[in-house]
Amino acid sequence: MRRRKRAGWHRVINGINIATLVVVIFVAAPLYWLIASSFKTPSAMGAYPPQLFPNPISTANYHQAFVQYDFWIYFRNSLIVTLVATALVLIFGTLAGYALARTPMRGKFSTMVTLLMISLFPAIAVIAPLYTLLKDLGWLNSYQALIIPYTAFNLPFAIWILRNYMLGIPKEMEETGRIDGAGPLRTIWSIVLPMALPGVFTAGIFCFTACWTEFLMALTFNIANNYKTIPVGIATFGTAMEVPYGTIFAASVVAVVPIGILVFIFRKFVISGLTSGAVKG
Amino acid sequence: MSTISTPVEKAPATTRLVGRPDVNRKRMARLGWAFSAPALIIIAAVTIFPILYSVAMSLSNVTVTGSGISLNGFTWANYSLVLQNSTWHYALGFTVIYTFITVVVELILGTMIALVLERLAAGRGWMMALLLLPWSMITVINAELWGYIYEGTYGVATYLFGVQNILGTSTPAIIGLMIADIWKTTPFVAIIVLAGLVMLPGDIYEAAEVDGSSGWSTFWRITVPLLRPTLALAVLFRVLQAFGLFDLPFVLTSGGPGTSTTSLAILGYDAMFKNLAFGPGAAVAVTTALLVLLGCLISLRTFKVQVGKEGM
Repeated sequence: MRRRKRAGWHRVINGINIATLVVVIFVAAPLYWLIASSFKTPSAMGAYPPQLFPNPISTANYHQAFVQYDFWIYFRNSLIVTLVATALVLIFGTLAGYALARTPMRGKFSTMVTLLMISLFPAIAVIAPLYTLLKDLGWLNSYQALIIPYTAFNLPFAIWILRNYMLGIPKEMEETGRIDGAGPLRTIWSIVLPMALPGVFTAGIFCFTACWTEFLMALTFNIANNYKTIPVGIATFGTAMEVPYGTIFAASVVAVVPIGILVFIFRKFVISGLTSGAVKG
Repeated sequence: MSTISTPVEKAPATTRLVGRPDVNRKRMARLGWAFSAPALIIIAAVTIFPILYSVAMSLSNVTVTGSGISLNGFTWANYSLVLQNSTWHYALGFTVIYTFITVVVELILGTMIALVLERLAAGRGWMMALLLLPWSMITVINAELWGYIYEGTYGVATYLFGVQNILGTSTPAIIGLMIADIWKTTPFVAIIVLAGLVMLPGDIYEAAEVDGSSGWSTFWRITVPLLRPTLALAVLFRVLQAFGLFDLPFVLTSGGPGTSTTSLAILGYDAMFKNLAFGPGAAVAVTTALLVLLGCLISLRTFKVQVGKEGM
């Protein structure tokens, strides 16, 4: 806004537009390459010089990914693990966020700091104990092997976001509800939750993205074909000798689409989540 | 935001539930623990307990048995083994340098992009949506995509720049890895910085303009200091992620050629799950975690920000 008052606008606007175009090319060119290559025929994949436009356009790679390489199994597994973990994170996160924002429980500060510290820990530090634990329980290659760790690792951030949102909701609203005889759960469901909805969306989309893209734990715990998620499936396509890029890109486009749509719809909440830390100082 | 609720908290408890306030307070506190219990229990079970177990593992003689692993007695051997190992020295150096270079480049490029987008008259929303795409992309897919771009005989980078066998030689492989990382995460930095820029108060800039401050000195004297908390946040996120670097080299270079792109996380993973050396692997993992914590503290200190004190 402030800059609009300065002089010499037309020249700068043009410069800005050119710079924006450079940014668009920087971001979009590799994405274009991914999508375009997924529609090339197997022989065009390795053409030299590389084909800028797929010619002829072929869906052979998609056929390959779904028919020869069971990609739909990985897609289903990713969807189940991600949706269940996100639902659990939102339920437990809302309850804990409410408790930390509203109730006079002791140790709130140390709880929040501990949560922050935990969310900083690299996954490599917990992978071996979790592996042996899951092995003892007979849970390697199962949905819970990923759902439980994903829930735990995404809860701290969700609790932070939800708590901060709930702090911003006027307390009087809940007190009216309580005087009307609504229990605490009922109060959260019908008064707090609707007002904290932006926080719920933010926590939800972050958790969804993190679960959808997670690789290290999925690679370590679920290596049986029936329980592989998309990242593991894509990383283990083909053999050591040959990388079937066409199949990989077809699968990748299918994997990128749901998250792309979600992120596009909820972009406001993603951005507020990315920046809430800054706002909160 | 939290300021809205503060006066209410201090108000006399007349609007609270009927009954004695202290009894009510106790009941609410108990309710708080009940509500937090599921989240805290699952977090403790999956993170705190395994972290402690990792520490114990790194300080024990670990033997791999048929049914799992067992810890037999205390020892410093794992740490002395790791600390004297030249592969660990290399992985540590590689991870530190990789983190430093990628974070610095991403911060500079991200700030430049944010400054451009801030001046953009129309379509900023669309640009934001575009920038979020690399952020939401599965890293494994990013790795495969750049693997295809760098492919030694028909890759588009080979064609455009005439560099043969990018991933087969150490320095080009490391640079290639960094470019793939920078492509995926610069947009993330740009979004954070842009959101910070938009919130800066406009009147300071008008005052600077009246004082005849040039664009460059306005940027360094006003924009950068005001952006400090925002930049600290971006750096913190990025340092954490970059230090745990695993997915990208695992798929793109398998830590190679040789060990030239072996990060600490890859070294720890290989030690534990390829060589079944759980003791030394745990030592690598624990030292990595400690370094991450140290890195966070340093970057927060550098930017003079305290996270999380507000509202509690």
